Amino acid sequence: MVEENIVCIGCPLGCRTTLRIDRHGNVVKITGYKCKEGRQYVLEEYHNPVRIFTTTVLTEKSSRPLLPVRTNRPILKSRLKEATLTLVRVRAKPPVRVGQVILPNLLNSGVDVVATDGLLE
Amino acid sequence: MAQMETEVLIIGGGVLGAAVARELSRYKVDAILVEKEADFGWGSTKTNMCIVCQGGDTLEFRPEYRRSKLVWDSMPLMEPLCQELDVPFKKVGELALIRNNEELSKFQKLKSRAEKLGLGGHQFIDQDTLRQMEPNVTREAIGALYDPHIAIVDPVRLTIALIENASQNGVNVMRETQVVRISQEVNQFKVETNRGSVMCRFIVNAAGTSVDKIARLVNSDDFVLYPIRGYVGILDKNLGGFIKHEIHMRPDAPGQMNILTPSVHGNLFFGTTMQPGVRGDCSVKGRIAEIGFQNARKIVPDLSERDIIHSFAGFLMFRNWEVGWHECVVQASQKVPRFISICIGYPGVSAAPAAAHEVTDLLRREGLKLETDESFSPFRKASPVFNELPEEQQKELIAKNPRYGHAVCRCETVSEGEIVEAMRHGATTLDGVKFRTRAGMGRCQGGFCTPRVVKILARELGLSEEKITKKGRESRLLLHKSKELIEAQI
Amino acid sequence: MNYSDIDVAVIGSGPAGMAAAIKAKEEGAEHVLILERQEQLGGLLHQCVHNGFGLFYFGQDLTGPEYGHRFAEKVKDLGIQVLLETMVTRISADRQITAVNNREGVLCLMPRSLVLAMGCRERSRGQLNLPGTRPAGIFTAGTAQRFVNVEGWIPGKKVVILGSGDIGMIMARRLTLEGAEVKAVVEILPYIGGLTRNEVQCLHDFHIPLLLEHTITETHGQQRLEAVTIAKVNKDKKPVNGSHQMIECDTLLLSVGLIPENELSRMAGVALDPLTGGPGVDQWRETSVSGIFAGGNVVHVHDLVDEVSWEAEIAGTSAARFAKKEELEKEKKILKPGRNIRYVVPQTISAQHDVTLYARVKDMEENVTLKMGDIFSKSLRVVKPGEMLKIDLSRSQLRQLKDDAVELSIEGAKRRQ
Repeated sequence: MVEENIVCIGCPLGCRTTLRIDRHGNVVKITGYKCKEGRQYVLEEYHNPVRIFTTTVLTEKSSRPLLPVRTNRPILKSRLKEATLTLVRVRAKPPVRVGQVILPNLLNSGVDVVATDGLLE
Repeated sequence: MAQMETEVLIIGGGVLGAAVARELSRYKVDAILVEKEADFGWGSTKTNMCIVCQGGDTLEFRPEYRRSKLVWDSMPLMEPLCQELDVPFKKVGELALIRNNEELSKFQKLKSRAEKLGLGGHQFIDQDTLRQMEPNVTREAIGALYDPHIAIVDPVRLTIALIENASQNGVNVMRETQVVRISQEVNQFKVETNRGSVMCRFIVNAAGTSVDKIARLVNSDDFVLYPIRGYVGILDKNLGGFIKHEIHMRPDAPGQMNILTPSVHGNLFFGTTMQPGVRGDCSVKGRIAEIGFQNARKIVPDLSERDIIHSFAGFLMFRNWEVGWHECVVQASQKVPRFISICIGYPGVSAAPAAAHEVTDLLRREGLKLETDESFSPFRKASPVFNELPEEQQKELIAKNPRYGHAVCRCETVSEGEIVEAMRHGATTLDGVKFRTRAGMGRCQGGFCTPRVVKILARELGLSEEKITKKGRESRLLLHKSKELIEAQI
Repeated sequence: MNYSDIDVAVIGSGPAGMAAAIKAKEEGAEHVLILERQEQLGGLLHQCVHNGFGLFYFGQDLTGPEYGHRFAEKVKDLGIQVLLETMVTRISADRQITAVNNREGVLCLMPRSLVLAMGCRERSRGQLNLPGTRPAGIFTAGTAQRFVNVEGWIPGKKVVILGSGDIGMIMARRLTLEGAEVKAVVEILPYIGGLTRNEVQCLHDFHIPLLLEHTITETHGQQRLEAVTIAKVNKDKKPVNGSHQMIECDTLLLSVGLIPENELSRMAGVALDPLTGGPGVDQWRETSVSGIFAGGNVVHVHDLVDEVSWEAEIAGTSAARFAKKEELEKEKKILKPGRNIRYVVPQTISAQHDVTLYARVKDMEENVTLKMGDIFSKSLRVVKPGEMLKIDLSRSQLRQLKDDAVELSIEGAKRRQ
């Protein structure tokens, strides 16, 4: 039996919950939550912790060295580091529109990395 | 730099070294001034409450105290000097608060003694008059001793102006140049610095917190100096009108001063605690900051800690701590010919004009020929301060140079034009720009303007932004390029 | 450019300024002008590359630049006039604006009404009276954010962050993602200053140590920062003897509070509320000076950008109505902060219209009741200074108010007998 702590971010209470997980990876018990939405969030966060990844990429425009980007959908939390290393190689070439795909299919996840700001020529 | 030759080498670009340089530039004398920091006045000079013509000195004046005499002799010189150099000088007057009869009788004694020496000008004012003059002052004060002569200046601006005028008039001024070794040869000195060596006949040792170290380089240890750490706090400009005069109160504990004063730029300064410290350790100690502010509130109770925008500590060098710090060093060495040391401690700025005359005199007595230079111009024009100009002139300035229309520091309204101008006059660091233009001295303390100033510095110096420093040497601001640290992990 | 006949002038083009300008135009003001000191619309949004913006306003989880872009497009579409790289240097009590730029020099404008949307600035090291040396390497979190996300520089690689406000936590994550080591986030209170969401997604996700009830007692290093000394604090927020330890670092970020930016407001004689640091406003967001309105962080520091825009829209609407010479309801009942309430905005309201109140508590409390006189009462599981309270009041509730002043307060948990 393993225990994992997850803080619920559903409301300002920030309940600190504890999950008990059996050796098959099933959640056997959750304690510490105060509402059903919280319980739901915590379960999802345990089974599928995902994050929207936001960062910057280098550009080919010296007067504006960085372009802010994001994943258009969440990716697995565990892949954030890998995502960072991948994006280091990318160079954004102006002109770039907001929403333009900078790197499609990040780490084969089906998620694209898109520009969140424009880059004029 | 390699090897240079000159008649007089001035070591130290604080207010004293700068004043000497300017004084010497009246004559046909070859002179070089070397300053170890990236800009001028960064040592004892800036650890200053900006007050000149200290009334406290006339009250405690003793003709036999060198320092008192220098301050007294400087008093009529300061205002004309500031006018010539186009730096701010404001006569605010001083109020020494009186809280009880004991303090009253002490002041009465000091006042009558000062009058007997011919140093008049003080008046006692009663509680009602005090309230009218300063409505925000503590109710505990039953009156005050008023000296209308006291003025405020900006010591770093004054120093920079002295340097510029000296430089205009032929003195060779070098920054980031530190003296490492001095050897005595026949009728001259060989002074080695980090940027080459200087052969000179005379040395003026005005090295502030390093005066004794420099003196030891020629085995001229005629004196011992004690580093005393002072603390200054700066209050928001919003409090600008809270008090109009420089106000002080007798300290409640030894080793303290309790002064609250307006500054020429509209802030309030409070200052206190003179304590022995380890030279070079300009850190602000926690308790000192607390005591400092508590003291200020004894003068004006309505001050809030939220109004403190900055504080700093620095060193003043004292000749003799125990005897009451009235001694100072302005002397030709007994052991080494043509070597003059000068160190005034407190109040160095106030004593600077007369001290410079005295040093020039000492040089003459040591054999320096002083022939008046007819081409000497005492006038130095300050760079335009955009937000102080009338609208018509602002428009003209922008039309001539659009950079004056680009505001960089919003708290003090400093334009790009002023920053570039400050760089033309020698600023190469963030602090250099700050002291010359006030960009970064406002209530946000550089939060908004720092990235912009860094960009301008980099552009004008032709350097990458990561080479830009806060105050020279290794004080770089930005250690890594974007993505560099991630690359290193791949 | 035509500067005569301006109906509404808006100072600032961040999430407040753009929202106010758009709303003013939509409410019928013909000539609306935005004055912005930076090179583009959006204010600080451009450097906020993280998401969490617009969850409520747009119903989408956007990044700062994306949020700003939506408004900037609308500003363009509506034909709102924009003056970029233009700094307002003075406002007078009769709404005369003096501004400066490098194309036209000094401009004097006389709009019919004015919206203050200058946002806020960060509390600096000087204001903290933080003891120690003054080396390079100490930045406020927002300044560091500008370097990291816009200028292309990482200040250092061993970082300590003082303060667990949202900006501090966001920068903890950002710097970690840029390859730096964030050694600790140091917070003097027993709880974080910002949103729990950030504690999880910025600190827990990256295993960044959060040291609650700690503070920094000294900085070390002459040229560049070398270390900081931290200590545990007691209930009075004073360092505990013997708890001091040194953390080696080359960068210190300060995230210790935001202060509304009101130099211009002061110049115009606008009365400021010492509890918020911003202008006292009524529910139309009019300040003490007729025709000068204010909205967004310049009035009080918000948690969410969505709220900033919504509040600024009120100011924009009112400014447009004022420019059209419409009468704004003048009745003013004073709202007073009571027990455990730090401030309430707006500071005065009329009892004739629905209104939304914003408030912050001073201290964290659990199981409390939020009360407004006799007319409103709500149980809350928890209240924290870092999470603003929002109270919607209807006209019918307000009509029950008898006195000219009413108190908003937090009633503590009832003790069990």
